[in-house]
Amino acid sequence: MIWMVLAFPLLGALLNGFLLPRRSKFLSHGVAVAAVGSAFLCACSVFLDFFAARRPQLHFGFEWLRAGKFVAPFELAVDQLSGLMILIITGIGTLIHIYAGGYMKEEETTYRFFAYLNLFIFMMLLLVLGNNLLVMFVGWEGVGLCSYLLIGYWFQEEANAKAGMKAFLVNRIGDIGFLIGIFLTFRHFGTVSFTELSSWINLMTTLPDPYPKAIFWITLSFFIGACGKSAQLPLYVWLPDAMAGPTPVSALIHAATMVTAGIFMMTRMSFFYYAAPDTMLIVAFVGAFTALFAATIALVQTDIKKVLAYSTVSQLGYMVLACGVGAFDAGVFHLLTHACFKALLFLGAGSVIFAMHHEQDMRRMGGLRKHLPITHAVMLIGVLAIIGVPGFSGFFSKDEILWKAFIFPTYGPILWGVGFLAAGCTAFYMVRLLCLTFYGPSYQDPHAHHHHHEPHETPWYMWAPLVILAFLSVAVGYLGVPDFLAHLVGGRNLFASYLEGLVYIPTSARSAWTHLHAEHAHSLEWGLMLTSVAWVTLAAGTAVFCYVNRPVRGIAGFLGAHFPRVHQLLLDKYRVDECYQQKIVTPLAEISTFLWQLFDVRILNGCVNWVGYLLMGTSGIASFRMTGSLHRYGFWVLAGTVGILVFSCF
Amino acid sequence: MSSIIPIEHSLILAFLLFFIGAAGVLIRRNLITVLMSIELMLNSANLLFVAASRQVGNVDGQVMMSFVVVIAACEAAIGLAMVIAIFRRYGNIKTEFLRALRG
Repeated sequence: MIWMVLAFPLLGALLNGFLLPRRSKFLSHGVAVAAVGSAFLCACSVFLDFFAARRPQLHFGFEWLRAGKFVAPFELAVDQLSGLMILIITGIGTLIHIYAGGYMKEEETTYRFFAYLNLFIFMMLLLVLGNNLLVMFVGWEGVGLCSYLLIGYWFQEEANAKAGMKAFLVNRIGDIGFLIGIFLTFRHFGTVSFTELSSWINLMTTLPDPYPKAIFWITLSFFIGACGKSAQLPLYVWLPDAMAGPTPVSALIHAATMVTAGIFMMTRMSFFYYAAPDTMLIVAFVGAFTALFAATIALVQTDIKKVLAYSTVSQLGYMVLACGVGAFDAGVFHLLTHACFKALLFLGAGSVIFAMHHEQDMRRMGGLRKHLPITHAVMLIGVLAIIGVPGFSGFFSKDEILWKAFIFPTYGPILWGVGFLAAGCTAFYMVRLLCLTFYGPSYQDPHAHHHHHEPHETPWYMWAPLVILAFLSVAVGYLGVPDFLAHLVGGRNLFASYLEGLVYIPTSARSAWTHLHAEHAHSLEWGLMLTSVAWVTLAAGTAVFCYVNRPVRGIAGFLGAHFPRVHQLLLDKYRVDECYQQKIVTPLAEISTFLWQLFDVRILNGCVNWVGYLLMGTSGIASFRMTGSLHRYGFWVLAGTVGILVFSCF
Repeated sequence: MSSIIPIEHSLILAFLLFFIGAAGVLIRRNLITVLMSIELMLNSANLLFVAASRQVGNVDGQVMMSFVVVIAACEAAIGLAMVIAIFRRYGNIKTEFLRALRG
């Protein structure tokens, strides 16, 4: 059954990519949805099997690589983590595939789009199911490739093609970290299989001498990989540009699934990370500062997809922060809730963009509530979920992360404070997005006479997935109600106990992580929770006050006018891209040009050419006996051969 | 098998083919004809291989013949490409125009 999960999307990609007639959009859409839908049903069956048995299952495919001591079988593992991930990928994937049929209706090459999208699902499943680093790496690279292809789907425009290339190249930096991690792992542990590594680490009561250092470097290398894929500082720059792709792609790849691969990978190797507290501190700080950094940029963006992109970077920062403070279960829980509400928000934004005829600037929107009632309702739920209003899923997952950050013994309150500030920014920019788009006076561009038709609600197959996602955005939160709240009704944190078998601290590292299971006063937890609810309410209220009916005035306008430099800095996204361009890209290009001009053209080509000139100039000296007649040469060759033969025979 | 061709017949035919080919290479002035003559010489060698293989009773000669056929195909492809290149450069494919090596 597990092989069927993988086979269906691959089959869909092959059918759409190579075999089926390309004219029919209905056919390509139908095949793609059927492929992912079947994969989802198979994944449900696999998950239920696993859930009934409650034991990780290994599926051996074939022996893939064997070189000396190095063995890498093609082996899949179904356990708590990958079982959950295949449900997220195929489930949300199916919804987005259904939606994409409507969104891409006007495109000429839908077969290409759906072939890439199915291939992405296949690669992502490979990434989460692989039981060793090498299979995971194949998926890791595969999703990167599909991401590149889909960002540049409209490659006729140069900016889109460039955005695709940027995503690919920045990811390569992370991939090098991942590769070095694999090399180091093999060098020190002699295996790349997760099950073997995990049992090896768990058998040790104390790590023998060289290992703590090795594990530090291994985890750091893998974290660089995670920074690339999961868009953390300083490698986050590709994700906002990735919004050049079609919106369903942004929802599926750049919000719900692929960008969470870094968090997934760290959780997969949580035993390593627990054994490397130094790396964990770096991870926690990178996560926290990414969360704040991206959230502040999102405050002033005007492109609806850019706001959501920076919001994704920021939410990924929360997940990485959770990993960094050792709360992998909270990180994965936030991954789950974020997959639901961010896919919802992106698809909702897609519906808005679709209704506005590919207008993405929020300043030209407004008052869309009348025209898009369903989209408005689901977007409202999505926003309430992401900003963490009590009762919605984001509340449970984000507060869990902030709480775990607060009790982290080294710099815990600082990490909490940074995350807390970011939560306020999140509330502000999400409510601002909602207000600018759906409320207030409807803004019509006075110069645009060409589209006078009213925006209207999308067809049912586009809003139905949104409604399902909206339901999930509320419902999945109740899987992970924090213990202290769940105790009130006699329950417990279902999600944490579900993951318990997978995420556990190796014996050798247990002393560093006692705080995770220590008893804390419930009043502290209540206090922090109420503080963050109050803070979120305040920020959201400010945004409502600033932006409902008064698009650019109010406090935000006041701040923008009185601190123009800060405002401009935020608008310019802290000028990180310019800095990279100036400090890294341009010097690299200059060095390359120099080397090309000097070594390639002058030295290499020069040498070869000079040998040629030399021979042409001097060969006349030796060729004075030459007649230049081919026939005469031929005759002498023949005569010589015959002569030698005659001589040697007699 | 009713009648086995004696090896002498094959030998005589091969020698004839070879000398027809050699004469063509030495005498004809058209590069394409020259190439065809070279093919003829190669095929006479093939004939010898096959005949010898039959005589000796193993397939080594036939294997060698297959190699020669493949190599002859490559040679023909490259040779014709060169003929085209020569035509582009000199405007014709007569051998008397190819005298760049004259001292």
